[in-house]
Amino acid sequence: MSPANLIARQSLRLTLRESTVLVIAALFVVLVLVSAWLGWRATATVNLIFTDAAAFLQSQGRALPPNPVLATSPLSLLRNVAVYVSLIGVLAAIVVGNRLIALDRRSGVLPLYGTRTGDSPAYATGKVLALVALMGTLTGIAAVVSAATLLALPAVPVTAGQWAQFWAFFVLSGLYLLAFGLVALGAAARSRSESVGLLLPVTLWLVLTFVLPSLTGNLLPTASINPVSALAAPPDAAFFQWSAWTFGSVSVAESYRYLSAGLLDFLPEGRLSPAAIPPLATLLIAVVAAFLWALRGLRTLDLTRSDYDV
Amino acid sequence: MMSDTAFSPIATIAAKDIRDAKRDRFVLIVTLFLALGAVVALVSGAIALRTDAATYAAAKETLLALGKSVDQISAPEFYPLKLMRGAIEQIGIVGAAIAILIGYRAAASERGRQTLALILTRPIRRWQFLAGKIAAGLALLGIGLLAVLATLAVVAHFASGVGLSADDLPRLAVTWVAAWAYTASFFFLGFILTMTVRKTATALLLAFAVWLTLVLVAPQVGDTLDPDNQVAGGVFKSLSIAKPDQVEIMKQFATYETLRDGIEQASVTKHFERFTFAVLGIKDTYTGVPLGPILIEKQGDLIWIFLTALGLGILAISLSLNADRLTKAE
Repeated sequence: MSPANLIARQSLRLTLRESTVLVIAALFVVLVLVSAWLGWRATATVNLIFTDAAAFLQSQGRALPPNPVLATSPLSLLRNVAVYVSLIGVLAAIVVGNRLIALDRRSGVLPLYGTRTGDSPAYATGKVLALVALMGTLTGIAAVVSAATLLALPAVPVTAGQWAQFWAFFVLSGLYLLAFGLVALGAAARSRSESVGLLLPVTLWLVLTFVLPSLTGNLLPTASINPVSALAAPPDAAFFQWSAWTFGSVSVAESYRYLSAGLLDFLPEGRLSPAAIPPLATLLIAVVAAFLWALRGLRTLDLTRSDYDV
Repeated sequence: MMSDTAFSPIATIAAKDIRDAKRDRFVLIVTLFLALGAVVALVSGAIALRTDAATYAAAKETLLALGKSVDQISAPEFYPLKLMRGAIEQIGIVGAAIAILIGYRAAASERGRQTLALILTRPIRRWQFLAGKIAAGLALLGIGLLAVLATLAVVAHFASGVGLSADDLPRLAVTWVAAWAYTASFFFLGFILTMTVRKTATALLLAFAVWLTLVLVAPQVGDTLDPDNQVAGGVFKSLSIAKPDQVEIMKQFATYETLRDGIEQASVTKHFERFTFAVLGIKDTYTGVPLGPILIEKQGDLIWIFLTALGLGILAISLSLNADRLTKAE
């Protein structure tokens, strides 16, 4: 077994022994399960409201508008999954990325790795491989849970094309989580203190999720975490056209939102991302940038020392 | 009655923590971060409002030129405090996270420097040590929030184009008190966990998991279950149903609405939002309503916020510290 694979396997074992990691990952999976029910319950309620409203409108002799539920795809029942990926999923990714390095630094095994593997590339490769495996597993579990829920819910037939969209959504969700995991990995390697290593990616996440959308489209923080409200058109002002075009290109959270809304069929008709760079490109650039940041941090990590400023 | 000597160690520890905070500038940096997020939200809102005002003025001019009545278009509302909606939400989300960090640092500083055991060898009671830490943390939190709200008031005064009135100042003062009590709950959460959990980083993670659940997930679940949020623009608007008829139809869904409201009410953040949105007139039904009747109507939300802070505060000050265990762990 290569040194990188050895480090990856050992890191996986160590991280999966951490109760904090397991609790946050379990919370994510539970919320994914709940979110499908939430989507189904809310849609069923709108359908019932329409039935009542139809009777009321008919009694008034008014024309009956089309039922909004009939225009929705079964995949849109999973719209809340995208929100939970961007909330608890990202927190889980940050925790995993941080633990992968922090556990080694805290326990003092870095010099041991240094003497065994001899070089930092093997260490860096091993850690990135472990992160990819953990993020893949987390996203895979979320996908399986969502698929099972979708199959179990009454009267939601899903076509083959929609299943393809479903899996594409989870691949992109995995990439989104990987980006934050890599940022946390890099931050944990570069920071002198364990807590600062954790706070840096959390701060970045807060800025991307709550500050940038406000700047690019006057989106309120609570609307940012509502899958439908978050896709409202920005005000028709020159400032927002400019800010969405420029800052929207680095707003990874918004890019992920557009991609997930498109794949889960709840993007309003005719709504396109106003950013200069298409959402998929922004997400891929973010993953590459996060990878380079993590790699640089891991390569510069001193394998002859193992400490934290406590 | 307690003598001055009982409070002297508290004041000494509090003063030392405040000196530390001034020196390492952590609180200053996070306060600036919160202010930046809140000001961005406020300015974005002001730009959107000015766009609405310009659109209204253009439409009004067109109608007048055509000799038609301007009654058919509704004028945008000019209430500067309404612009604070995004900023208040930033305090509700980011402010709570910052409060956790301040609580975490207040507890972690002595653990990290291995000075906890040393302090406890001095003639000082444990509650006095905890009270000193808490007093400093709450003071820093209060000053930070005061600075953020003062900045917002100045920006709102100039950005709105209308200016704040004397009636707005007590509303801002009440909002500050509510924000202080609300964020204090999260300060206590961070402090208690860091003072009890063996590893400080684990304590920080647990505090963030609770923050995520209370501040983001619970209100999000309630918001998502709102039928009116399921269709872009609102389900009733898409069906062209007027407000009184909406109320009539929603009577059939009383149980559903009770469940939805219950999930929202479980979060202290929702109480903070409901209280401040009413006080500042952000929610339309409270716009222009005098402060007194709002405070009476919304006292339940305020009591909930204060009881949460008080309960956690009592828990924090009654912590039994195991200095040896906490010092050895990281």
